[in-house]
Amino acid sequence: MSSAQARVHAFGKTVGMSAAAAIGESRLMLLDAGLRIVRVLVLLAIWQTLVQPGEVVSGFTLAGLLTYTLIAEIFAQQLLTKSELDSWLWEGVIASRLLYPMTLVGQLVAQLLGSWLFGFVAVSLPILVVAPLVGVDISPDSWQAGLWFVPSLVLSIAIGLALDVILGAMTVALNLSIWLVDTLRGALLALLAGSVLPLAILPWGLGNVFGWLPFASMGSAPLRIYTGTGDPLPLMALQLGWALVLWLLAGYLWRATRERLVGYGG
Amino acid sequence: MRQLLRMWKLFAGMDLLWVLRGPRDAAMYVLSDAVLIVASISTTFLLAVRFDGIGHWDRAQILFMLGYAMFVNSLLDTLFGYNVKMISRRIGRGQLDHMLVQPQPLWRMFLTEGFTPFGQPFGLIISIAMLSWTSSLLDRPFSVVWLGILLLNLFASAAIVLALQVAWGAIAFWAPRSAEEINSATNRVVGSLGPLPLDGVNRFLLGGLLTVIPVGFTAWLPARSIADVSPLFPGGLVAPLAAPLFAAAAYFVFRKGLQHYARVGSQRYSNFGHRR
Repeated sequence: MSSAQARVHAFGKTVGMSAAAAIGESRLMLLDAGLRIVRVLVLLAIWQTLVQPGEVVSGFTLAGLLTYTLIAEIFAQQLLTKSELDSWLWEGVIASRLLYPMTLVGQLVAQLLGSWLFGFVAVSLPILVVAPLVGVDISPDSWQAGLWFVPSLVLSIAIGLALDVILGAMTVALNLSIWLVDTLRGALLALLAGSVLPLAILPWGLGNVFGWLPFASMGSAPLRIYTGTGDPLPLMALQLGWALVLWLLAGYLWRATRERLVGYGG
Repeated sequence: MRQLLRMWKLFAGMDLLWVLRGPRDAAMYVLSDAVLIVASISTTFLLAVRFDGIGHWDRAQILFMLGYAMFVNSLLDTLFGYNVKMISRRIGRGQLDHMLVQPQPLWRMFLTEGFTPFGQPFGLIISIAMLSWTSSLLDRPFSVVWLGILLLNLFASAAIVLALQVAWGAIAFWAPRSAEEINSATNRVVGSLGPLPLDGVNRFLLGGLLTVIPVGFTAWLPARSIADVSPLFPGGLVAPLAAPLFAAAAYFVFRKGLQHYARVGSQRYSNFGHRR
């Protein structure tokens, strides 16, 4: 087996292990998936209360808002990418992970891909099935929008992963509680990423400000491209810029703090 | 009662020591509390401002409902912190043993051990301020009876949300590993759906949100009546009447789980003390 084949093999095995762990340890978390579907159905009902068919609000029709909401939930794990790096730090798993014959980023990507399989089967597929039943068209605004969405989503994932590494490095450097960091991250993303409410809908022109932040490049940008409410090229240029800046920062911070890693134990 | 007060004082002191481990820790707690409060109500608040209300709810009524939901959640966080509200974690991890070996009855431990008045200092203060302010915005006269109904409903809503957490969390007695985090899921639903007006939701789903996962009682149903969105006599008494029923159901499920636990115990820790 060549070196490249060995790497691919190791990557594939890690994806498989991650998928198996997510399914094997999370049988009752199917309930969590069910609750996510309930939540999205409630959000759809609220949009239908607020916006009348044919009405246009901040560039969105009701159909556009419903599509935006459903696509945001279908790709929730990718749009708000979060790896298990914090758990690895907390549980001390990071010590053995650093000994694996794979790069840390490679392991994080493999872990993410594996864990997404569970979410895809438990949440995304049911939503795809339910969408026509609740009268929502989930097709992209145009075939070009659908095509642009794919690289935009990849950039969104890259930004999310960089943010993960940065927060992991800061957790180590400042000896922060991972729960505190995770809670803050979740709260900020819920408000700033634009994956729950489209940023354009926000009052007081907040969306114009939030749109420039890296969080918007994670959530809002791909969704705007998909729904045809944003120009793909400037949005993706901003995403690319954030991805580069954040990965440079992530690399620097990780190198600067990895000597201070401590295994805490779970 | 004197014993309860002594224990609340004891746990409050421990909570204060935890927060004051250092200036950085204290600052982080204050900062995170402030961010969480803003984030918890941001979706509904921004929608209400943008659309000048939601459906039948005008802006003042929505703000009142947000204050109501904030108070309910803050009260529970203050009284049942440290994973008492997230009981599935303690059950799933075998940490219930830590409570069972204490020289106190279990109910007293549950009532007092999670008292964290300093860990989340802003929630209750801000929600009380917001409730007071938004009550004055409502287009209705203030009266002592109305205030009494409001207080009764606030505590009833808190009891129902706690019952939801306990009933669902008790599943961890039978499935310790896979249900360990089930209260995280139910807590997320309470946090995300609790402050939303559910008027437009279809009846079947709404039925579920008022029974199986009763998040409709977190704020929507009681606030709807108290804020006169849909004055429904005796709408102001629905939550207080439902609370004992949900509490009884939670007690029944938890007791069944505890009986199961008494037979099988916990297998989560190895002989070395590591969690499996």
